[in-house]
Amino acid sequence: MSFEPKIIAFCCNWCSYAAADLAGIHRMQYPHNVRIIRLMCSGMVHPEFVMDALSQGADGVMVLGCHLGECHYRDGNYRAMDRSDMVAELLEDFGYEQERFSLTWVSSQEPDKFVKAVTEMTASIKELGPVNGEQAEVV
Amino acid sequence: MTLSEITTIDGLAGNFTVTVEEAPRYVDQEKCIACGDCTEKCPKEVVNEFDAETGKRKAVYVKYPQAVPLKYQIDADTCIRLQKTGACGACEEVCDAGAINFDDVGRIHEVNVGAVVMAPGFEVFDPADSGVWGYGTFPNVITSLQLERYLSASGPTEGQLVRPSDGKVVNKVAFLQCIGSRDENLCGNGYCSSVCCMYAIKEAVTAKVNSPGLQTSIFYMDMRTHGKEFDQYMERARETSSVRFVRCRVNGVETDGTSDDLRLSYVNEEGRQVEELFDMVVLSVGLQTPKHALELAHNAGIKLTGDNFAATTDFAPVQTSREGIFTCGSFSGPKNIPQSVTGGSAAAAAVSDLLSPSRFEFSTDVSFPDEKDVSVDQPRVGVFVCRCGSNIAGVVDVEALAEYSTLLPEVVYVEKNLFSCSQDSQDMIEERIREQNLNRIVIAACSPRTHEPLFRKTLKAAGLNEYLVEMANIRNQNSWVHIAEPEAATSKAKDLVRMAVARVICSDSLKPISVPVMQKGLVIGGGIAGMTAALNMAEQGFEVHLVERTDILGGNALNLKHTWSGQHVPTEVGKLVDKVVWNEKIVIHKEFEVTAAEGFVGNFRSTITGKDGSQKTIEHGAGIVATGAEQYIPQEYNYESITRVVTSVQFDKLYELNEVHVRKAKNFVFIQCVGSREENNMYCSKVCCTHSVQSAIALKKENPNRNVYILYRDIRTYGQREALYKQARKLGVIFINYELHGKPNVAENGQVINVEIWDHVLHRLLRLEADMVILAIAVRPNGDASTLSKLYKLPVDGDGFFQEAHSKIRPVDFSVDGMFVAGLAHYPKPIEESVAQALAASSRAVTILSKTKVSLDGVKAIVDEEYCDGCALCVDVCPYDAITLVDRVADDPDGGKLIRVNQAQCKGCGICQGSCPKRGVNIAGFTMKQISAQISAALAV
Amino acid sequence: MGVTTALEWLGSCSGCEIAILNIGEDLVSLITETLNIVHAPILMDHKYFGQCGEGVTLEIPEAVVGIVTGGVNNREHLEVLQEMRKKCKVLLALGTCATHGGIPALMNGQDQLESWEGIFSTVSTDPGAEIPNVEVPPPLDRVYACDEKVKIDMQLPGCPPNPELIGEVIVALAEGRVPVLPGKSVCDTCPTKREGKGMVDKVKRFINNVEFKPGTPIDEMRCLLEQGYMCMGPVTVAGCAKRGGPSCISARVPCRGCFGPVRRDGNQLLDMMNGLVSNGLDFKSVVDRRSVLRFSGAHGRLRPVKKRVARGKVK
Repeated sequence: MSFEPKIIAFCCNWCSYAAADLAGIHRMQYPHNVRIIRLMCSGMVHPEFVMDALSQGADGVMVLGCHLGECHYRDGNYRAMDRSDMVAELLEDFGYEQERFSLTWVSSQEPDKFVKAVTEMTASIKELGPVNGEQAEVV
Repeated sequence: MTLSEITTIDGLAGNFTVTVEEAPRYVDQEKCIACGDCTEKCPKEVVNEFDAETGKRKAVYVKYPQAVPLKYQIDADTCIRLQKTGACGACEEVCDAGAINFDDVGRIHEVNVGAVVMAPGFEVFDPADSGVWGYGTFPNVITSLQLERYLSASGPTEGQLVRPSDGKVVNKVAFLQCIGSRDENLCGNGYCSSVCCMYAIKEAVTAKVNSPGLQTSIFYMDMRTHGKEFDQYMERARETSSVRFVRCRVNGVETDGTSDDLRLSYVNEEGRQVEELFDMVVLSVGLQTPKHALELAHNAGIKLTGDNFAATTDFAPVQTSREGIFTCGSFSGPKNIPQSVTGGSAAAAAVSDLLSPSRFEFSTDVSFPDEKDVSVDQPRVGVFVCRCGSNIAGVVDVEALAEYSTLLPEVVYVEKNLFSCSQDSQDMIEERIREQNLNRIVIAACSPRTHEPLFRKTLKAAGLNEYLVEMANIRNQNSWVHIAEPEAATSKAKDLVRMAVARVICSDSLKPISVPVMQKGLVIGGGIAGMTAALNMAEQGFEVHLVERTDILGGNALNLKHTWSGQHVPTEVGKLVDKVVWNEKIVIHKEFEVTAAEGFVGNFRSTITGKDGSQKTIEHGAGIVATGAEQYIPQEYNYESITRVVTSVQFDKLYELNEVHVRKAKNFVFIQCVGSREENNMYCSKVCCTHSVQSAIALKKENPNRNVYILYRDIRTYGQREALYKQARKLGVIFINYELHGKPNVAENGQVINVEIWDHVLHRLLRLEADMVILAIAVRPNGDASTLSKLYKLPVDGDGFFQEAHSKIRPVDFSVDGMFVAGLAHYPKPIEESVAQALAASSRAVTILSKTKVSLDGVKAIVDEEYCDGCALCVDVCPYDAITLVDRVADDPDGGKLIRVNQAQCKGCGICQGSCPKRGVNIAGFTMKQISAQISAALAV
Repeated sequence: MGVTTALEWLGSCSGCEIAILNIGEDLVSLITETLNIVHAPILMDHKYFGQCGEGVTLEIPEAVVGIVTGGVNNREHLEVLQEMRKKCKVLLALGTCATHGGIPALMNGQDQLESWEGIFSTVSTDPGAEIPNVEVPPPLDRVYACDEKVKIDMQLPGCPPNPELIGEVIVALAEGRVPVLPGKSVCDTCPTKREGKGMVDKVKRFINNVEFKPGTPIDEMRCLLEQGYMCMGPVTVAGCAKRGGPSCISARVPCRGCFGPVRRDGNQLLDMMNGLVSNGLDFKSVVDRRSVLRFSGAHGRLRPVKKRVARGKVK
């Protein structure tokens, strides 16, 4: 059986989650590997969630927020952006590939962008292989 | 009432009888669940008017995905079945909800109302009639609205800009401005449509983002980017998006004869006639009142202007000629989004003013049973799985999903529904909650964005806290997007339900928070905006404190003589002052300034300090900032050294007094944009073009032998003001364009003032000998805006004007709840726009003042005192300044610290939660525990 | 007689043991009345395989309370720890090495083989020296905290731990109650003035003195993180405060994080960097950020930097 990754996607209620709904209304098809967790703002994503998800076996983690300047809460997505730069770099410190994490801006009217982001992430994780696949701990 | 039109309005203000004709929809709104199966099956394809005819739709359709109500409808003109009984009927067969009703008939409603607001909007000018643009003949000539659809991700080409004729990628596009505007020859629309310059720039920039190699050119007469931050946008478009701006009125579009390319002939900036080929030409079509709106106006008996817009006055911009009938939006003249939104609120203010005696007469309170306390009970989760007809069940194995759900921890009850959102299912869920003693509910159905409110209500009706429900989105985000993979979709559905169950187990009952409201208003600034807002609030029955810094009411309007439409400002201001002074609900505090402020929506406490040092404290529920603006004192054009170089405001005074210099002068030169639209003040002062043109007209009318020159960069007599510009030219006022790099030179030469300027039409240096030079000075933000901004934590933009919460959709709100902005404090604007904004601000403030309590959503940051240790990492990250550091034990600095969240200021964004290293602060409803549980559950298999 | 107690040290520097001595006068009653120490290599030469080496299995006498210091670095540590677990009813991990890996776990950030080669073949070693394979217990693949290998009943971090808290734990154990230990961060015990962290945009290296007025108390000094110094107070569990404020901060030195993460399974590096970036500080201004895990490198937190070939594009 081919490798079917599990990807956790944190979606902002105001934009990317709505875009995901709209993708459904348009019957746009995309890989089934993503599990969406709805949050109020991409700025709500604690980096701990990213690490926890990876350590519990998620093969990838996505954060999808509103375009810069369009945050429902002034500048939550800037926080998300600052954090994501940091998280991407720290992933390597903790033994994960940076590609396992992504941050994407998607407005509520851009289901195509949502679909593209999810499709690309799934493809890139498939290429990358399962999380911790090659570094099972020696005890 | 959708698909409805008004046929007559009888009666008087306060008691109208309105006849409404509702057309049949042929789809039962109660039953339609907007699944889209009917559209899928419908065999009839027709041109899609929402896509500006660039795409197709079916005969049964929903206009666009965000339509409200999101219910399908059948277009009777094209539906096969409705055209021929017995034919087709495919939609009826496929509709599981049984919503199709071919026998639907139209209805006539009679509605009794106290006031009417007319907002029928505009239509775009159809350029097909005037053949010169090639629209309808050459396929690659499109309108701006069509381009908008091409650029849209949900449009016919999914955002790709390709030529309609051959599908070739567009490399070169030209925008032609003023198609159907400022043009009495081809269409009779002499007015300026106001919005096209800005939308053309926006489209050019967006198109460039979509196809980076694109070359964009905009052919224009005057760039009218007079809105807030518009000039900055234009400069960015020029510099970073390489949009080319060509000042030239193109006369027509031709083909090159051999390909689908289009040829434009025009005179370039060097004065040469050139020809250029383009892949695509976009016509920036103007706005006009649609025919049906003209009929409506006729039926309603309201007057229209010569330009076919609803007639209003500058001091009552939403009042039509018939009492009790109000208007907003482009029906009363071309408007952009923020102006339309402002107008909407302003109309609401005018209506509330009229109808305030009967406020709350028809509203009823919904009552719910007492809420059960489930905080200590073992969770008992009920899972309801929706088939959504075949929308879910057609892909997901609902039986297997339901069976799987029974195995999940704490799940005690599982049931399947055909449509969970139907009324009988709601009743059933309510019953099951009681009967099975459920205290947590999971609905596996569609999106919480659309249906969560419904299920929350069901829980409330069953005596459960409304926050104890969680939706698993197995339709929009599962069955609809994995149609070909039923197995994967079923397994994903299981994951989603498992995640929802894990999360709902950790959910707590949340109490909506409500804070009492001090039902008084505060208005800062006693100019036109401030007085209008105060008066409207007072006439709606609320006590208002009006604080004015000087000893006189009137503000900047005291310097003005006439509005653009000719209303006499001193008279109108006088009337307004009288009304304000005599209104017993308004307390005026002259020579006072706000010096301290605290509190939040519903409960502000502002301290005002008088010139004499005395202080008063005002408690108020809402506040309006209408502090106006200042005049720019010119440093340029030798204003300080030459006596007869005066500002526009000074000139008005001199002119009124028939001062000797004015009386004797023969040659007048007006210089525009003095202090506006340059380096550190990259904004348009909006009022100066009209002002100078008006002054010029007056001078010319008085004595046609006078020479009047207006040196301008772009004449911005937007909207119906265009008539003034036309009149001025007719009277012989000479308009000479200059660019920023070639500003005029002003020097005294004996008795005359030499004004030198490069003429772009004649291509030579001109020297004008002026007797008087009038500088059209900029409107500058108030110097002390920053003080007020600090007191109430109100943001100020880069130019120094107050920043609204959202430039388009919240134009009078501040991001601080309960505070609003109006008038020049927000941005330069003419009187009617100030009045509209003041009414809008009043209307927004009254939404708070009219209640005794404001209820706030329960989704707020909650401090966990066990974990918070006052490290202050979250204090500065809060975008709303809702977090403060306090002593853990009051007045004991040694007892440690913790944070306190102001519930009224907190919006529940959770940035604090995302910053905290110790889970010391959580967003109710989205706690770290809930999210962690969801993550673990997602990965549990 | 007091409660039978066994003390053991694994990969330890004996600082924790000195901390026990630092309990001071109270120690006398503790070891004479409260406790009955039956095994403590630091005090008594008690051999593992019988006093004369006649035994074949590692043996430690039974005890009610076991106190282990140091992390688990090699096979010997692991065997001793497992024997302690077997023989003691209640096992206490004392000191940050035992609870979170401590200084020895810094090794986890390096490639082990490379490091060993470095240790045994530097300029100061004799030519031809090799990594020994007898006499020296073989290392584990990395350094572990005690709770990664056996069940630990109670943790008391600190480098060194606070003698007062050691006393509290011992007394509480003897009295059969849950000891009162700090659960909040260093900031909870820190009296410096805090207003918010958004004023600075970079972290400064601690090369110059922090800003303070000599002679004035600590509570008149601005929070060191707010001064732009890398103070790990917010992500570090409290416990070091002895006289008023946290030890380092009382000496006008930023917290180094020696008590380990504030939440037991917290991640000092991630939480600290998050705290910085959330407040708009440039996390790249932190020199050698992995050293933020200098005290909590066990639990898989600190790993060798993977030399990897970039695959795909980095978004």
